[in-house]
Amino acid sequence: MKSWISFLLPDDEYKEKKMLYFFTEGAIILFLSLIVMMICNKFFNLDTETVLLAAIAIFLFYVTGRYILAGMEYTDIATKHAYKKELRVICIRTIGFVIIFMALYLIFINIPSSLNNWVEILGLLISVSVVSFLSSYISLKRSYKKNKELL
Amino acid sequence: MKNNVKITRIKNSMTQEQLARQVGVTRQTIGLIEKGEYNPSLQLCINLAKSLNKTLDELFWEVDTQ
Repeated sequence: MKSWISFLLPDDEYKEKKMLYFFTEGAIILFLSLIVMMICNKFFNLDTETVLLAAIAIFLFYVTGRYILAGMEYTDIATKHAYKKELRVICIRTIGFVIIFMALYLIFINIPSSLNNWVEILGLLISVSVVSFLSSYISLKRSYKKNKELL
Repeated sequence: MKNNVKITRIKNSMTQEQLARQVGVTRQTIGLIEKGEYNPSLQLCINLAKSLNKTLDELFWEVDTQ
């Protein structure tokens, strides 16, 4: 079936079907949440920026969350050895991201001048890294569990 | 959907990974089809049948034994 969304979908037909479900569920939840926010707007004064940000966040968190929990990201991880190897790759990728981001920040933006600036940039970097690591870790764990059952 | 994919694959001495590569899907998808947890498209059924040298009937037709 030809559709402009095809470029966003994986080649594997099971994954493609699942992703279409997640996008559709996300779109319906987004639609319902917009109706709720429209009703709420009659009683409280909702800021436009907040509403737009919430709408984007709802859709993104839902689709990403479903994808992570579905355990279909790491389709070939079915043995303990492969699991440990992939976990090492995730750790190295996260540490690599921290180092590269920090290096690029110090070279192209500036060296933080005060303790507050250091805390700000390190806080942001650590938060992003932790979220990225945890999402990959949960996805890997779920995929491993699912694949083991399918052997 | 019950099917004979797993037994036929084992008889052909193929791993899930080899079969998956031949038909252009992931190993997880092959595992799900074998367990009857995912119903493949007709095109994928045909590709599986060709890879395993069987007919669609032999792989996917359910015979009521009662």
